[in-house]
Amino acid sequence: MKRVLLVAGALLLSVGVGVAQQDAVNGAQDAMKANGKNLGGVLSPMFKGDKPYDQAAVDAALTQLDDTAKKLPTMFPASMKDAKWEGDFSPSPKIWEDKAGFDAKVASFAKAVTEAKAKIKDLDSLKANFPGIGKECGGCHETFRVKKG
Amino acid sequence: MLKRLFLLAVLAGVAGLCIFWWLTIPAVVAANSLPQYTPNLANGLTTFNAGGCSSCHAVPNQPDRLKLGGGLPMPSPFGTFNVPNISPDPKDGIGRWSEADFVTAVLKGTSPAGAHYFPAFPYASYQHARVEDVRDLFAYLKTLAPVTGKARDHDVPFPFNVRRNVGVWKFLFMDGKPFTADASRSAQWNRGAYLVNSLGHCAECHSPRNFLGGIVDIKRFAGGPNPEGEGWVPNITQKRLSDWSAKDFSYFLESGLTPDGDTAGGAMARVIRNTSQLSPEDRTAMAEYLKSLPAVEGPPRPKKAEKS
Repeated sequence: MKRVLLVAGALLLSVGVGVAQQDAVNGAQDAMKANGKNLGGVLSPMFKGDKPYDQAAVDAALTQLDDTAKKLPTMFPASMKDAKWEGDFSPSPKIWEDKAGFDAKVASFAKAVTEAKAKIKDLDSLKANFPGIGKECGGCHETFRVKKG
Repeated sequence: MLKRLFLLAVLAGVAGLCIFWWLTIPAVVAANSLPQYTPNLANGLTTFNAGGCSSCHAVPNQPDRLKLGGGLPMPSPFGTFNVPNISPDPKDGIGRWSEADFVTAVLKGTSPAGAHYFPAFPYASYQHARVEDVRDLFAYLKTLAPVTGKARDHDVPFPFNVRRNVGVWKFLFMDGKPFTADASRSAQWNRGAYLVNSLGHCAECHSPRNFLGGIVDIKRFAGGPNPEGEGWVPNITQKRLSDWSAKDFSYFLESGLTPDGDTAGGAMARVIRNTSQLSPEDRTAMAEYLKSLPAVEGPPRPKKAEKS
């Protein structure tokens, strides 16, 4: 009986770890998708002139990006290494191999978002500060994201 | 009888070798075939940015894209190529090259010493470039800072390391034709077609390749496995990008941002660093051409590995 309990406990624990890992994966994907929505649906169209400038929408988008910036340092824990990633992308193992490099990218993204929040007040300041955010996204994806086959 | 057969076989062998030798003679652009010319440095810079030279030739892991000391390792199914130094350094770079050496390298894929370059150097695209653009580029490269240091030798195993064999590859996969404009299309479209197919060398990564490493022509631009190993290069024909407007294409080339708010990643991030430097007119031209690419079904993606 003891043994059964032990096995059951171990199984539960591993399921628990698996679930936690999956939650972390989903959390990371949700955050990235939300970023994408705000860039592609709000900030880019205003930048391109497809949508009129809307300060409230800009503020909401930047708040969400800021939220991502705060989560990023712990978004890809080492325990996530062998997690299953549905969808087109997965994190590159370089996130954990070059932790310092990754952390530097995360910090520079956070800085760009903070600056944008302080500076973007109208269309001109959006045009001046928005490309910097996109560059940060791409700069990190260049090394630390993999497009799956 | 047997003796005669043997002789025949030897003769056939010799003839075959001769044909191989003749077929694989590296092509050269002679210096005296280049007319007097005053290079245009501004166009040299445009050529440099459109050609994406710094994507591969810049010293990796440092921010200066004009530091062309090479050294980036490029993995491939045929071995690892180490990108050479093309800075004007006289010893380690191309400082001692003549203009004809450079034109030959870019348009023919032949080194100053008369050897075939490996097609990791995308001369199969560059062959379509205008010779004036290449001459301007040479003049522009000369203005950059020399960088010392040679890249490591290529790590390519037999039989791919036999340079002469590359001559066969060139025979199979290069047509040697200059870019010809399509008179039924606008000047802008033609400029885009030129930039995408020659200097931009987009198809080099965005097309599947056969077992010899040649582009599968009917699947041009339809994406495929990343030749550098990891992941997948996307289909950029209208098969996948029909919901992108021409403006979306040019904005992507400028900012690296897709219409759905995603960004270019991997090697494409380096490409954007070049295309973002082009004139808006050139990006618009590339966009018009890319938007016009007919939908082509790409190679099937492998089933996603299901592993816990």
